[in-house]
Amino acid sequence: MKEMNASNKTNTVNVTKLLGTGLRHILLLAVAVIMAFPFYWMATSALKTNDEIWQFPPTFWPVDPQWGNYAEAWLQAPFGRYMANSIFVAGAIVICQIFNSAMMAYAITHMKFRLRGAFTGLILLGYMIPSTAVYLPSYIVLSELHLLDSYGGLILSNCVSVFAIFLVRQAFMQVSHELVEAGQIDGASHFRILWTIVAPLTRSTFTVLALTTFISQYNNYFWPMLITKDPDLRLVSAGLRDFFIEGGAYGLKWPLIMAASAFTILPLIVLFLVGQKAIMRSVNFSVGVNKG
Amino acid sequence: MIRRKWIKDVHALLFTLPALVPLTVFWLAPLVYVFYLSFTEWDFMSPEKPFVGWSNYKELFDNPAFYDALRVTLLFCAGNVVPTLVGGLALALLLNWKLAGSSLYRLLVFSPWVTPTVAVSIVWSWIFEPDVGLANTVLNALGFDSVGWLQDPKWAMAGVLIVTVWKSVGWAMVFYLVALKNVPSDLLEAAALDGANERQKFFRVTLPLISPTTFFLFIVLTIESLQAYDQINVLTQGGPSGTTRTLLYLYYQSAFESFNVGQASSVAIVLVFCCVALSLIAYAFSRKTVHYH
Repeated sequence: MKEMNASNKTNTVNVTKLLGTGLRHILLLAVAVIMAFPFYWMATSALKTNDEIWQFPPTFWPVDPQWGNYAEAWLQAPFGRYMANSIFVAGAIVICQIFNSAMMAYAITHMKFRLRGAFTGLILLGYMIPSTAVYLPSYIVLSELHLLDSYGGLILSNCVSVFAIFLVRQAFMQVSHELVEAGQIDGASHFRILWTIVAPLTRSTFTVLALTTFISQYNNYFWPMLITKDPDLRLVSAGLRDFFIEGGAYGLKWPLIMAASAFTILPLIVLFLVGQKAIMRSVNFSVGVNKG
Repeated sequence: MIRRKWIKDVHALLFTLPALVPLTVFWLAPLVYVFYLSFTEWDFMSPEKPFVGWSNYKELFDNPAFYDALRVTLLFCAGNVVPTLVGGLALALLLNWKLAGSSLYRLLVFSPWVTPTVAVSIVWSWIFEPDVGLANTVLNALGFDSVGWLQDPKWAMAGVLIVTVWKSVGWAMVFYLVALKNVPSDLLEAAALDGANERQKFFRVTLPLISPTTFFLFIVLTIESLQAYDQINVLTQGGPSGTTRTLLYLYYQSAFESFNVGQASSVAIVLVFCCVALSLIAYAFSRKTVHYH
């Protein structure tokens, strides 16, 4: 853009640039509206009466907004419980994964031991295996351990992630061995070096890990649904899906279903707005993973 | 000396245990177990699991439903991966420019990725409602006839794919934005000095330089497509008449709806095989053609 063109062409360049910018804005605006429209549609459909929602053509803003629909939907199913379950389980998983991936990654990057190569290979291989493929045998394992239908099962079965280990390994490889050795000379144990020197240095990786893990676990549906039958243990996605099928009989109460979807999505939108920088940064780290 | 080495080994192994134990119990052992189960016949209930050799695989490869599911899976992969890559790159190219409000655009396009698949699929099933849904309203306004988005075997896959691509295209875009930022501007300037036009600059310089990102996204998106479940479950449950029943959905149905554990396990092994083969092929391919800088 800078010195690309000679100065006598500056005028034409400015015009094409202006046109280009305008065109870009129009295209991007169109895409952004299409991308965000389902959210708008959800939030406003939730405000319609049952009569209005079945009107054709649909109204773009409800004639008489039924703000009470949100409260009514909230009370029709134990959504508070579902969300608390999701937040608790996702939070516990985040803590476990941070702990065990840091330990594992530290061992395979900064400790010398005989099986190191084998472990690294195992993690690399694990990256290729689809976790959904082992749902059936994992289900049988959980039932043998009597962990079906329990918070323990929900948390333990997700408490380790090959991807998380990968991500942390990538960050730890950037930390110099000399730093670790200096710590050892000072008499610090590996455990201490890991948590007081290496982890603080790489905390942005941990932020990314915590946010992305929390989001994916909060949203998790298939696996938690398979291993729990107790309605009290339902995570928010499964709870919403039940409400969609039972409560709505496939669409008799669309405004309430839309309201319920809206408050399910809301915490994530808030989290996303707060942590967007870190979430987008996860991309940089993942690209690094690929190169490892 | 030997003793010290042993101590070091044990010390390091202790560090790996918190990850290794759950990894073994919930991932490695199940992987071996599912391989074993694929050679047995079991219904979750009976105390015995008779060994039946290759018969599950023979049955699977003789079953037309398997080939239907395979075809649907390939269609789903292609229909998700190609538009997501092309769309993500196109959006990144539009945004890779000093533009007022670009961070807002980026935020809006990326936001679907963060939201729960189940919740947004429910919202989309309302948008796809055949009589008064938004999708058909827009089609009618543009002069087209209404479509049975999730009911018509011809359109159901398109409906599921729209939701899937909508959710992942912003994610791919963010990857491409990073990649485009890393393309050295002096290379592009040099190309311009040599008389390359915009199109040539894109195809000869930019595209090869961002190929590691394309490669990475291709793998991740394909493996994700092979595992897609949530949106299919909410939108179509594999129907109408099996047009959205992927291999994973077939696996789920034979395991947890028909309780045919052996049969389901053989599908799982096929899935694992697909993912590993794909990763290895892509890896070998990348050694030859992908440019790392």
